[in-house]
This record gives sequence, C-alpha cells and structure tokens, in this order.
Amino acid sequence: MAAQSEGGGRDEVKTQFVTREGTYKLMPLSEYSRPNRVAYNGQVNTPVKTSFINLNDQSGIGDKICFNHGRELYVYTYKGIRKSICNYDYQGTQDMAADLTKPIDKRVYKGTFPTCHDFNMFTASGEGVLLLVGFTMGQVQLIDPIRKDGAKLYNEERLVDKSKVTCIKWIPGSPNQFLVAHQSGQMYVYKDELPCGTTTPHYQVFKPGDGFSVHTCKTKSTRNPLYRWIVGEGAINAFAFSPCAKYLAVVGQDGYLRVFNYDSMELVGTMKSYFGGLLCVCWSPDGKYIVTGGEDDLVTVWSFIDHRVVCRGRGHKSWVNDVAFDPHTSSTEHDSFDFSGSDEDFMQHVAKSNHSILRETLRDSLRSSASKGSNRNSTDSRSIQNNLISYRFGSVGQDTYLCLWDLTEDILRQPIGRNRSGTHMSQNASSNAINPHANKANSVGSAYLTTNSLPNTPLMDGNIHPSATTNLTQKFATLTLGDRKDKETHHDKKEHKRNFSLAGRSVDKVGLLKANHVRPVDESVKLLGTPACPRLDEVPLLEPLVCKKVAHERLTSVGFREECLVTACQEGCVYTWARPGKVAMPQHTSALPRASAGGTVV
Amino acid sequence: MIADFCVKMGANASQLEKEIGTDQFPINEHYFGLVNFGNTCYCNSVLQALYFCRPFRERVLHYKQQQKNQKKESLLTCLGDLFYSIATQKKKVGTIAPKKFIQRLRKENEVFDNYMQQDAHEFLNYLLNTIADLLQADKQGTKPKNGPVDPNHQCNGKPEPTWVHDIFQGTLTNETRCLNCETVSSKDEDFLDLSVDVEQNTSITHCLREFSNTETLCSEHKYYCEVCCSKQEAQKRMRVKKLPQILALHLKRFKYMEQLNRYTKLSYRVVFPLELRLFNTSDDAYNPDRMYDLIAVVVHCGSGPNRGHYISIVKSHGFWLLFDDDIVDKIDASAIEDFYGLTSDLQKNSESGYILFYQSRE
Repeated sequence: MAAQSEGGGRDEVKTQFVTREGTYKLMPLSEYSRPNRVAYNGQVNTPVKTSFINLNDQSGIGDKICFNHGRELYVYTYKGIRKSICNYDYQGTQDMAADLTKPIDKRVYKGTFPTCHDFNMFTASGEGVLLLVGFTMGQVQLIDPIRKDGAKLYNEERLVDKSKVTCIKWIPGSPNQFLVAHQSGQMYVYKDELPCGTTTPHYQVFKPGDGFSVHTCKTKSTRNPLYRWIVGEGAINAFAFSPCAKYLAVVGQDGYLRVFNYDSMELVGTMKSYFGGLLCVCWSPDGKYIVTGGEDDLVTVWSFIDHRVVCRGRGHKSWVNDVAFDPHTSSTEHDSFDFSGSDEDFMQHVAKSNHSILRETLRDSLRSSASKGSNRNSTDSRSIQNNLISYRFGSVGQDTYLCLWDLTEDILRQPIGRNRSGTHMSQNASSNAINPHANKANSVGSAYLTTNSLPNTPLMDGNIHPSATTNLTQKFATLTLGDRKDKETHHDKKEHKRNFSLAGRSVDKVGLLKANHVRPVDESVKLLGTPACPRLDEVPLLEPLVCKKVAHERLTSVGFREECLVTACQEGCVYTWARPGKVAMPQHTSALPRASAGGTVV
Repeated sequence: MIADFCVKMGANASQLEKEIGTDQFPINEHYFGLVNFGNTCYCNSVLQALYFCRPFRERVLHYKQQQKNQKKESLLTCLGDLFYSIATQKKKVGTIAPKKFIQRLRKENEVFDNYMQQDAHEFLNYLLNTIADLLQADKQGTKPKNGPVDPNHQCNGKPEPTWVHDIFQGTLTNETRCLNCETVSSKDEDFLDLSVDVEQNTSITHCLREFSNTETLCSEHKYYCEVCCSKQEAQKRMRVKKLPQILALHLKRFKYMEQLNRYTKLSYRVVFPLELRLFNTSDDAYNPDRMYDLIAVVVHCGSGPNRGHYISIVKSHGFWLLFDDDIVDKIDASAIEDFYGLTSDLQKNSESGYILFYQSRE
C-alpha cells in the first residue's frame, strides 16, 4: 500500500489560484454532486456536462443548473457564490446537504445514459423550461424539469441514428428547432412538434459540399429529422453557434474544425488540429475567434475573419476536454471593461446565460467586422465600444488541470509565418533550452518562452484589481518570443486598425481552395504549413496564465459566469470558483460577509 | 475445457466473418488467432501486432519466398513460415498454432524457455534484434557469392542497416551542455523503440515530451567534459532526430518498488490518439512534422509483469480487431479508450496499453 502514494501525491489539488485580477477561490459549499457520492460503477464513462438557465421566477435566484453523471441527470437551483454568502450566517454544511438531496428534478435512466443537454432559453419562464437531453444510444428526450410533464422522445426506435449523441443545442433564432450531433459523424435538425416516423428515414441530397453534405428527409408528410448533415469522417465531437447565430462551428474526430453559414449551408472556413481529434469548440464573445481543444493537448485559436490559425496554447498534459471564452474578462479598445456602462439589454443577456453573452449587442459589431468587403476595416462608432482587443479563455483537460489563457492584441496582430522560420526558432531554442538558468521543470517547448509566471508576481501597484484592468506589461509575460518585435508598436492605435491584413487573407484562401480539392487522406498532411494548420513554429505558442490541478478526476466542462467560473469533473462534481473580490474570505470569522459581497447580488 | 474452447473458437470465427460481412471482408486478408502454449500470450500479442505492421509483414513474407528451402532453421525462418501460413490460409478466419516458432524461441533463448509469463516488450526487443542479426549475418555470408544484396545500403562504418532498421529504426540526438564551459556536445543514438515513463492522467504526447525534457547531471552523475577535461555539471536532453517509419512506443508500466522488493504495475491512464505528431524533435530533424497513425497496441491485462495476460488490438483495412490468443473480435474504434488505463491510483489491475505502434503516413 505504501507504493500507492507514488505519482498521485506530487501535485496537490488546488482550491484557489491567482491571476492579475486577483484570487479565484473554490466555493467549498457550492459544490454540486450526486447526493450520495459513492464509488461509481465504472461502466458508464460519459463526460459530465453542465447547462445553465436563468428563469425569471419569484425566488430571486432564477439560475438553474443541469448536469449528468453516469445514468443520472440532475437539475438544481444554482446559487453560485450567493450560496455561501447566505450560509455563513447559519450552518452552511447542513443547509448544503439538504439542498443536494432536494434537486428540482432527478432522473435515472436504464440501458441508455445522458450525455449532453441544453435548456431552451427562448421559452424559459418561472413556470417551466424545456430541457433537451441526448443519450448514449442515440435517443433524444425533451423534458420540463419544472412542470415535469409532457416529456417527448425523439429517435426512440433509433431509426434516425443508433450512435451516441455527442452534442445537442437549441438552434438560436428558431425556438422550436434543435440540432443533435452523433458519434456516427452526422447531425440532425429536429422540430419539437414533429413526429419521428415509424420507418427509417430516406434522404435525398439537399446541399452537397466539400467534406460535408446536407440531406432532407424524403417523405410526403413533414417528419423529423428535417435535415441530416454529414460532416467529415468519424464522430462529430462538438458544435457551437456563433454569437450572431449565423454561423455554426463543428469539430470532429477527424481533427477538423469546419465553420458553416448555417442558413445557406455553406462551408466558410476550415482548420485542422496539429494531430488527432478535436474535442471542443467555443466562439469568442464578439464572434471573431474560435478556440478549440483536442487530442494534440493543445488549444488552438482560429480567426474567423482571417481564416487562419492565430496561435496555439500548450499547457495541458493530456487531451483538452472543454474550452470557453470568459466574456467578463476581455478588454475593449478603450479598456472599458466595466460593463455597467453598457445598456440594460446587454446586462440582461449576461445574466441569462453565460453561453449567450453578447448575443444581441455584438451582432451588429460582428456583422460589420465579418462582412466581407471594404467596410471590414471601417470600425464604426457603434461597434467600437465592444471592439475587444484582449480575450480571456479557459480550458480543462483529462490531465485534471484548469488553464486560463490571455489572447492579447500582440498575438492577434501577428501575420502568419512572419519571421518564424525553423532556423530562427531553432537558434533560439538551442540557446535557450539548454540554459544554465533554465528551470528543470520547464519543458523543451516552454524553454522557447519567457516564462514569467504571473501568479507569483505581485501586482505592480500592490492593489487587487477586482476585474480585468488590462495591464499590457504584464500580459507580455505569456507571449512567445516571436512577439517581442511588436512590443514597440502595441500602444499605437492606428496600428491596431490594421489588425487583419488583406494579404494574409488572400493567401489563406488559396490555401483552402487547394486543400479542398485533394483526397481527404492526404489532405491533413498537405494542410501542414497552410493557415489552416501551420507548423509548430509558424504561429505563436502561448503559455497559460494559470495552469492548476483542480480535481482528482478528469475535468469535463468549464464555463464562465458573471461572478464565478464553473468546472465539472468525471466524478460528477461541479465546482464553483468565485471571481476575485466577489466573495468574502471563506471563514466564519469573516467580519462582514454580507457587506463585502453585497455588491455582487444582481 | 479444451473442447469447450474449440467450440467457442469455431463460433467466434464464423461470428467474426459475419460481423465484418462477406462482401466487406478484405481480399487477401486473414484474421487468425494464435493458440496459447502455456503463458505465450506475450508472444502471440506481439506477433499479431507485427503481422499487421504491413511493411514488416511484407518483408518477412518476402524473406520466406527468397529462402525457400535453402536456409537452416532460425527464428526468422520460423516467423516466415508462421506469417506465410496465416497469409495462405484458405479460410479467412480461424486459429493457428505457432508451435514451431515457440519451440525455436525456447531453444534459442533460455529466458523464454519456460512456461512463465514474459515481458512483451523484452520479447519484441529480442525478436527485432535477432532478426536484424540474422539478416546481417545473411548479408555477410552471401556477399562474396552474389555481391551486395541491397545496393542502397553501403557500409558506413557500422553494420549495414537491414530492413528491420529501415522499418523501426530512428535516431535520438543526445545534447549535453557543460554548465562550466557552455560547450554543447551532441551524440546520436539509434533506437528501435522508445521506452517512456508514464504519469497519471497524461497523454503519450506528454510522456514523450517528458522523455525529452532537459535534465541536469550533477553530484555523482556529473558529466565528463572534453573541453574542461574534468567532470562538470551539465544539462542533457534527448530529442528525436530521425523519425522512424514505424514508431514503437513502450510505456514503462512496470516499476520496481524497493519497499515491496518486486515490480508493480502502474495502471495510470495514459491516452494515446489515433493520429500523432512528435513535439520532441531536434532542430536538425529531417522530417519533424511526420504524421503517424496508430496501427497496433499490445495491451497488458492484470496487475504485474509476471501475472496477467497480453492481448493486442490492431487496425486492418479501416477497422479494429482484438486478438486475444486464439480469439479474434472486431471492435469499435471508440472501444480503444478502454485500454488507456485507470484514473484510480489504488487499483493496479487494468487492461492498459503497453506497446503502441504508430506508422508514418508518408
């Protein structure tokens, strides 16, 4: 038994971490998990995912959380950081225990297990909410965890698809339609009131494409599915609609990110992982960037506007299971991070769901920036307020680590391949990597980098910044060496306008065009060195701002909310991490917990 | 018991054919289980993995054809006979007894001359090196009569490379920087497979990067610097300079525990992707971007090196097969995750990937 401490004990599981904006703290009393945390029979290995919804009910705490674990599905009231604030006045633990045993809804399934879920935020109210659930055997269930009636089952006979549901989402803008992705590599569009039919659907090609095709169901009466998308080779692992709802990003086991214009069903962009499947995908709040994570242990940022990989991030020791942008820690050009200046409509959306942030407000700015043509560079006064120049995103992996990343202006401005020839890098690599001062723990890769770890660096002015006040100097700590050249110009606002060079874009299009006309087997090899899959030394390699082991088991989900960040792990535990300054010290002796936290209650 | 087994085999074989489908069954391909001669699964699992390394199989069959009846029996002729026997079966599925090969193996090496469970990696190593030696001996022997067998490979100081080297051999470059004089010296080493340490909840990619991490040589491990003419502290790192055609990766899952005075198994969960590129290549690597595809995995089942069982999973014509001695099953690619290992540190007993075979796409 003595041997068992080997390997496991070296890395302590962290309960807090520091970024430049302050300390994030695990809320120990806000942990959601199955009520009886017994060792789970390892038969079911589906990742634990979380969905959130805000219902404008009377309780004042309208947030609900849904998560799956093994054969079970839970819906709870989500109190986030408020939970503990209220509880410090009483006996927190007791209250918590009572809470966990009283879910709003709990379902246990036999023979087929929940894999993913999504609340319908368009029709949600205090009286009821529609929750879609996908299953391992391919079925889809529509339930109302509040009313608990009128449950519907789709693909019940498994005539549409027998393989596991990997991702499910309501289609934004179409409150009755939803999209279901399967392990088979196909996605289906369903309409909630339509029947699934009693026969296997027959399809006809509706829209053929490169590496994908869209089919319609060939029947006299309209039935489900409305459309079938076949995308790439192998499983579809995840998809995400753009904040403007117009575009759909799909990632799969073939290692491709494909971005479609959802309505016109046209492929508008492609990216390939460095190797292996892509497991997760997320759009930046302004729709300009897409971040993916996958089996190459990397996070990869792809520019939707330039159609190119902007940078990769290396920090995980295993596959990256989930990625998410943090819409609350991204900086605008005027560094007006304080969102209180924005209109009320915007704030409501923030409160509604962390995944739908900026949906309406940024639609305009995205259109102006994404629309091809001459007006692309003309950032009008309306959108400038939301012209994000720095982005924060998080990733969680099978290594049980949480990483936070800063995507700064300097990285985003780098044209592809600029001065990143192999020899240039290798010279630096050989002089830096075997460096007498190099930390032994540094990987070969990180030896390329200037590795100042922010968490240990005291803030320059000694103040804890409650929110992300952009400190450019500190941001540089995480950039790769190739970015130093741009240091001198980063204060130049005019320079910033030339963010996306036309030259880079046209080169990229040629590359894509070429790639689309070759056989798929060779395609991924030939893509190497193109903007869709640059070589390792052709784009900046980011280091994480924060890289902490935060769980004993594989992490499966990450999401950012206004006052906290939420992670979930394979064991079925959902953790809430309070943002800096959003919660009092988690001690009973804390002087005025209510007062210090009062400002955070919406 | 044995009768039961045979019935099961029969049922399994036809089941497999049915599962693949007669019209789907690859032409000229045979899926044959190998009979276990008493703890010979270490051998069976490696042989199956090698049989489905196409370049290796082709060379072995080619060798067999070249030889006909001229050669005296060796481990390579026995392997040739076995592969030939599988490849020329009338039936598409079934079982074969690798009796002659096992007998020869036991005769040639006393390590394997017993009924104990052996280490599959040791066996792979032994087999590849023995074949390389036999081929080199063949070349030496035939040269005076027939001239150079392979004109592509001229002598360059060291023994001529054989097709075993063409397939499996890569080169590591070992860079050492003296911390006193800052001189970097590098030395190349060839390898037929890489043995990497494993850590809990990591990927093979991470294990390979750790393998190439810079380490400091100090105290009793000091490095003799030729420039300083004395022992000095130094930093050392090993990176891949020449990437092999088939990259065999051995996960060091058996660790000697001094407290226990025996080896124990590290059942850590180490994920391995179907597609792989290397991050740990040297700056002067010839083809550092090489894309590899996973083609076979030797899996160890059980809790220790001398207990348990070996099976292998292989990719053939786009689908995955599981070879468990005489039993062959078609498995879904998504079932490969069952062989990554366990996330619980307490449990030692696992079915976990032990040797990974990646084939270069180019």
